[in-house]
Amino acid sequence: MTTGWASTTLEDTRTSTNEQIETDETTVLGTPWVTIVWNDPVNLMSYVTYVFRSYFGFPEAEAERLMLQVHNDGRAVVATGTREEMERHVEAMHDYGLWATLTKADA
Amino acid sequence: MRGFIRERDGRLSAEFEPEEVALLSQLARETAELVEDWRSGSETPADDVWRSSSESPNNDQWRSSSESRSDTHIETPADDPAMLRLLPDAYRDDAAAAAEFRRFTADGLAERKTANARAVVASIGTESTTTTTVRLDEPAVQAWLRVLTDIRLVLATRLGIEHDGDRGYADSDAAILLSDIYDWLGIVQSSILDALTEPPDRAPFQS
Repeated sequence: MTTGWASTTLEDTRTSTNEQIETDETTVLGTPWVTIVWNDPVNLMSYVTYVFRSYFGFPEAEAERLMLQVHNDGRAVVATGTREEMERHVEAMHDYGLWATLTKADA
Repeated sequence: MRGFIRERDGRLSAEFEPEEVALLSQLARETAELVEDWRSGSETPADDVWRSSSESPNNDQWRSSSESRSDTHIETPADDPAMLRLLPDAYRDDAAAAAEFRRFTADGLAERKTANARAVVASIGTESTTTTTVRLDEPAVQAWLRVLTDIRLVLATRLGIEHDGDRGYADSDAAILLSDIYDWLGIVQSSILDALTEPPDRAPFQS
């Protein structure tokens, strides 16, 4: 995520470096986790879209895009955050009957 | 069935024929019992649909899934593919984490699934001699969406539906019947989802 370094001034660079350190600390202290929803032959496409929209609050177009990604690619990352947050999301997906797992973002 | 529509008060309504009422409430009850049996580690399978299907000779898949269900209390529902689909592993490559997650969430999830099934039965009733009008408020709609999904997940594992486009077993009348029911439940769910996205009905006589 270190974009724009080449065009920054020295002062900017110092600021960016500080920000970078903060970002890294956040990452180190809480390695990001992701919630993955997997394709299954049972759930209706309209239901999966509905769940993404109503639970995660995605706009219709984004919910539809993620649903299609699940459908076409077999899986989609639908959320990123702490492990605890992702466990909550996965439990909610299981409540809806969707097949969801969590894993470390870099796994 | 007359599919779901949104009424002026915001509720969703649909009409079901007597045999549809009986079928839906039976499936909801049996799904709840499947989950409850798993929770309590019960040895008596109560799911009549699955069991009656296994009475036909060419239906080892029903019998095997029925027999494989827990004879001891199981921490993971791996013995029954239907339960594994209702309560899937939350971690794919970490069995210990998956077991830990299950320890903390499975009971609550199972309890909510049975409560949803009870809510569906409460809203549709168990039997009727005439067409039944069902009216669902928002919590009932949420219960219906989940229960229809849960029933279809169970039916899919019993029918061997594993990939997109699978039609499932069709080697017996019982399997064909379950397959038709599976499709019909999808139609009911679609109807709810369609009604949810429609604006409330504006009848001309509304003040």
